[in-house]
Amino acid sequence: MSKLGMVFDLKACIGCNACVVACKQENSVPDGIFFTRTLSYEYGEYPNVKRVYIPTICNHCEDAPCEKVCPSGATYTRADGIVMVDRDKCIGCSSCAVACPYDMRTMLDKSALEKGLFGTGELTPFEKQGYGRYTPGTSLKCDFCSQRVDAGLKPACVATCPTNARVFGDLDDPNSEPSVLIRKRGGRQPLPEKNTKPKVYYVE
Amino acid sequence: MTQNSTNAVGNSFKLGYRFQSYWGTSMARAFFAAEVGTGTFLVSLYFDYLLGMILGLALAGTLKPFFHLSHMGVPAKAWRAMLRPDRSWVSRGGISMVLLVGFGALHIANRSIGLDKTLGLDPQVGEMVRYVAIAAGLVVICYQGMAMSASESFTLWASPLVPVASFCYALTAGALSLLAIGWADLGAEPQAVLVKFLESMLLLDLVIVAGLLIHARSKSKGGAFSVNLLMRGELSGQFRLVAVFLGLLVPVALVAYGGTQRLFVAAAVVAFLVGFYTLRTLLFKAAVYEPITHDLAGSIGLARSR
Amino acid sequence: MSNQEPTQNSLKPGKWINSTCKMCLHSCSTRVHVTDDGVINKIEGNPTNPSNAGKLCPKGNAGILRHYDPQRFKQPMRRTNPEKGPGIDPKWVPISWEEAFDITVREIKKSLDEDPRKILPSLEDFQKMHIWFWPLAIGNHNFYQSGGTMCGGAYHPLNGYIHSAFGAVNDAKYCNFWLSNGAGDGFSSHLHAAAQSHWVAKARIERGMKVVAVEPRMSIAAAKAEEWVPIRPATDRHFAMSMSHVLVYEKLCDYEFLRKDTNAPYLVGPDQFFVRDENRQIYVWDRKDNRAKLWNDPTLKSENMALEGEYVVNGVKCRPAFQVYKDILKDASPEAMEQLTTIPAATVRRIAREFAKEARIGETITLPDGRTVPFRPAAYNYYRGAQGHKSGMMTNHAFQLTNMLIGNIDHPGGRCGVTITDGCVDNNHCLPGECGQMLGAPHQLGHMPPFSWPPNEYHLAGFFPVGVNGPHLNMLSYLEPEKYGSTFKPDVLVNCHSNPVWSIQGPRDKWLQFLREMRFIVCVDVIPTEMTDFADVVLPSSDYLETYNSVMIEPPYTEGICFRQPITPPLYDTKSEEEIFFEISERLGVLDQYNEVINLILGFNQKPHLMLEPGKKYSDRDIAERVGLLWNDKPIEWYMEHGHSSTERRLDKWYRPWDGMRLLFYIEDLPFQREQLRRQFEEAKVPFRHEWPFDDYQPLPTNVIDPIHKEAKEYNLYAITFKDIQLNFGESLSIPWIKDITYRDPVHTGLLLNRATAKKLGLTDGDIVLVESPYGRLYGRLATTEAMHHETLGVSNALSRTKSENRSALMAGGHYNDLLPYDMRNTDGATGQPETSCRVKLTKLDDWPDFLKGGSTVYDYIDSIKNAKGKGGLQ
Repeated sequence: MSKLGMVFDLKACIGCNACVVACKQENSVPDGIFFTRTLSYEYGEYPNVKRVYIPTICNHCEDAPCEKVCPSGATYTRADGIVMVDRDKCIGCSSCAVACPYDMRTMLDKSALEKGLFGTGELTPFEKQGYGRYTPGTSLKCDFCSQRVDAGLKPACVATCPTNARVFGDLDDPNSEPSVLIRKRGGRQPLPEKNTKPKVYYVE
Repeated sequence: MTQNSTNAVGNSFKLGYRFQSYWGTSMARAFFAAEVGTGTFLVSLYFDYLLGMILGLALAGTLKPFFHLSHMGVPAKAWRAMLRPDRSWVSRGGISMVLLVGFGALHIANRSIGLDKTLGLDPQVGEMVRYVAIAAGLVVICYQGMAMSASESFTLWASPLVPVASFCYALTAGALSLLAIGWADLGAEPQAVLVKFLESMLLLDLVIVAGLLIHARSKSKGGAFSVNLLMRGELSGQFRLVAVFLGLLVPVALVAYGGTQRLFVAAAVVAFLVGFYTLRTLLFKAAVYEPITHDLAGSIGLARSR
Repeated sequence: MSNQEPTQNSLKPGKWINSTCKMCLHSCSTRVHVTDDGVINKIEGNPTNPSNAGKLCPKGNAGILRHYDPQRFKQPMRRTNPEKGPGIDPKWVPISWEEAFDITVREIKKSLDEDPRKILPSLEDFQKMHIWFWPLAIGNHNFYQSGGTMCGGAYHPLNGYIHSAFGAVNDAKYCNFWLSNGAGDGFSSHLHAAAQSHWVAKARIERGMKVVAVEPRMSIAAAKAEEWVPIRPATDRHFAMSMSHVLVYEKLCDYEFLRKDTNAPYLVGPDQFFVRDENRQIYVWDRKDNRAKLWNDPTLKSENMALEGEYVVNGVKCRPAFQVYKDILKDASPEAMEQLTTIPAATVRRIAREFAKEARIGETITLPDGRTVPFRPAAYNYYRGAQGHKSGMMTNHAFQLTNMLIGNIDHPGGRCGVTITDGCVDNNHCLPGECGQMLGAPHQLGHMPPFSWPPNEYHLAGFFPVGVNGPHLNMLSYLEPEKYGSTFKPDVLVNCHSNPVWSIQGPRDKWLQFLREMRFIVCVDVIPTEMTDFADVVLPSSDYLETYNSVMIEPPYTEGICFRQPITPPLYDTKSEEEIFFEISERLGVLDQYNEVINLILGFNQKPHLMLEPGKKYSDRDIAERVGLLWNDKPIEWYMEHGHSSTERRLDKWYRPWDGMRLLFYIEDLPFQREQLRRQFEEAKVPFRHEWPFDDYQPLPTNVIDPIHKEAKEYNLYAITFKDIQLNFGESLSIPWIKDITYRDPVHTGLLLNRATAKKLGLTDGDIVLVESPYGRLYGRLATTEAMHHETLGVSNALSRTKSENRSALMAGGHYNDLLPYDMRNTDGATGQPETSCRVKLTKLDDWPDFLKGGSTVYDYIDSIKNAKGKGGLQ
């Protein structure tokens, strides 16, 4: 089976956050919740200062701590390596959220679905057609747009990224785009000392 | 305008410390109730003091589930929490709680109305019930710490001292509570034993808390950030004054000087419980995700800075 | 799980429709998903357009929330509250379209009948030039919109002179060394932001293109650059000239190009005009034959043309244009300019040498079309920040001369002209001028109205023969009508997708008063803005997901039409801009004139069968269809299927479209225009003719110092403003998703001040400050950083909104534009471009002033993100 993963090209990323918005529109993500974020980091001293934009997303860890601690069996890993949450099983204990060293889990508060994106208490037609997939109180996360992947498409954030800073594919295939990038430019995983075996890599 | 911890970034897209905010007051109350209640139950069981057992079990058996349910996003499915004891401390703890409440109640019934004799059962069965209740109670006063320390996310939690602290604090709370509940009819000798036990337990708690901080500070920058918050930062008032001074030093002094005197014991119980509860909430509040500013930045080849 | 109902929006039952984005003024191709229930639930980039290649910026990704914004205008409305002001409820009452048109036309007509100049248009739909130019139908040349001076007021006219094009771009396809001066091109803004950043990232990643960014704030470009060079604001020209100094004095130029393809060898007399014979033919110096020859002398070989030296021709002392610039550059050494720019001379020399080296002067490349042309993979890019200064024309010229010196103009890897639109597929935008030169075409958006005294335009456009419209100059006529010869005062404002209250610089209180004094204001718009709070009648327009349009608008590397079509029928009782303006025109009795204007503006007269007929009104679909037919004769059905006709720009229109003509190194037209204008001023005895900044017209830039540097010393800092990709070209801060990403990005959360400077001034991160310039003030909160020039305050455009009926757009503590001057002292005489940096001083305050204490400002929102509590930091 495949092992789906993502590589972030830090040299390419311009921190525009088109990915964040693309994710929100593809997945009708409720207000205040982010499945992906681009973090901005400045270092050095004027005038020798640098700023780097670091995209972050669920790392779909091979040894996913969120899955290990899930007491209800809601979190599971698909055969292709995507770490999923079954909302019908999730009890909203947030164990996964405290177990994820990357802060990539969010608990869905009912108020987010009620207040709506404009905070008016009335949902737009866009939200109405989208919120059915969410159960208040449960844990949410990025699922690499699993349904798009099943349909042979790239995750929404990858598809829209203007600078191709997100590269998605099968890490088990040595010739896949991400595998080649990891090999050529020395891909590194985030917080390797946490022993979670992330399937997300960064190249500079 | 807040200008307290410069590197805390809230929900912004800045690289830096992000606070743990998933486990909050409800979880702290549930943990607190479980530890105080189960501790009281276990210590009372040791001294075979029925009222203590009843009160302890009642406390743990009602408030803990109540606060867990109020924390839980989908409380209607709470039963699912026990489905994965093979990997999840929450499941293990949930099952232990069921066992504790069930077998604890059986034991209390047995002790009070002699259930085994009434039903004509082998006394061994009563013993078995007692042991299962003890075992379940011991798991309960440890697993919450295990659930925390199992998380790799927060250096402050990721220490074997966290379950040890749960265990010791629970027993300290149990001993103090028993001393307070049983001041009238516990008997002089057990009371003297409890006072001695408490003196050392309170000091041990102090050592463990100190150990927690030292461990966290040395292990990572995130851990050091948490410790700084507790020792010098915005949480230092609560931590130093309430959790440590009021919660540990004051009870030690009260117990050491006042012995079993009723007022002193009452004051020591209140002080300790306030301190204990404060510590429970502070461990949640001070926990921060390891910011990639340092570790991820290093691990992905960025220059480390500041 | 796979047999589950799709929950991801793009996979739900529905259909994809190819269309075009309008979340900024550019036009990336999109595909829009609409469910079987008729709900738009996903917008993606259309991968078949070679420009944006399936990519979209965050704004493009956020269009759904504009479409479904609950605050959208849902029907025509009339004001019932006579009191007008920021955030004052107009107390709208719904009216019918019939009544709305009745009122609007009655009020416009009242002024029109009296004096057409009393109409003040503010029509900012840059994708619909036929709306923008509607005022021509009523013989009106007024202008009250920001498009112009707040984008590229000087950039566009100068590009017109150099490339005969509206825009210009570094050729990312071949460029290896990208110098970025005060610009977001390729990183955060301009020229189809998603498309440009895509191709520039490819160049950076795949070819290792090096980027050096010279700017006061470390922007996204600088963040991605190999080197950030902080520069003092409003000294960009001096930096460019110090670069040119090194190129010229270290002999690093492309002399062959300068001799053969530019007018640099043409001889210039002491009067700044070329030396000509009696037939007005220009002389050059043949250094082989050691004598002057006419430029077209058959015995003259380009390699023999002198670029340097001093000669006497027909008794006139003269120098080649190149020598003239060389002499000017004598005083612009990096060492001399360092005093002004604060950039170490050694840094400039190093960058200039690398720039020249990377230009590979002498190398050529053979293109797929068989031509062998110079290969110059280094280019100097500049835009909004660098170009927006008092001496705008000279400043832009100095940038382009740096490019021209290394011979990269319209060459692979170099600086290439980008047309705004070509109209018809076979049009070439470069036309021959006199004496072998290319015709300079500064009027990229049409000619300015002729000089008149007293002026026929409230914003004095007739005084800027080669400039653009300067909306800030309306303030001159308003405040000093006697001095500026105002014989009329506009009293009806016709507004469409324009927010001048927000986007035009100058004193806010006076602008508000100016608007209050309008007898009637009609606004055509989609959502409430600062401007619509002042409307008497709102005519709600359909949005870009409900209408047709066809446009080609400066796509950097492609050509062709991007086609917009309705994805859903209008959600509300709204109309397209076309319906509205044709209706108004008919009722005003100017329909025939309007149709003629459109035939001219959109170029329908190039294919007579497409021309609009007198007496007929047309729909948005009709216009869109004709624009498509004009381009490639494809019917609208073809466009509805494909969504665009965009293809890579053909090589002959991209590289050396002027082949055989000489580029304008030396812009003789500028002194010519100056002298003509001076004569007109003299003849009309314009009272301020002696203080008018004629000196801003120079055939070559000088290193004159702009007035911003001479402000009172107490203003001890500079200030600049900036936008990033999520704010680029137009309102987006009322969109929740854009707020989400903007106010989480640290550069948009406070006034940026260099950390060491803050310390020196006794200020610290989070301090509430009053920012005062000689012209205005604002309140804000400091965010200290290492990534700002040490004398400069950076004010994000995200901190610029004022109180309005749009409750989604969060009020800040004043607007950067309020700090800016509006006077002629700070306006480029040649282009009308005003200074867009300023000098400020900071005062620390104990607390916010009362009007910012309500807990509903942008800073409160930022705090709520920073102090987010609750599970997962939800607010």
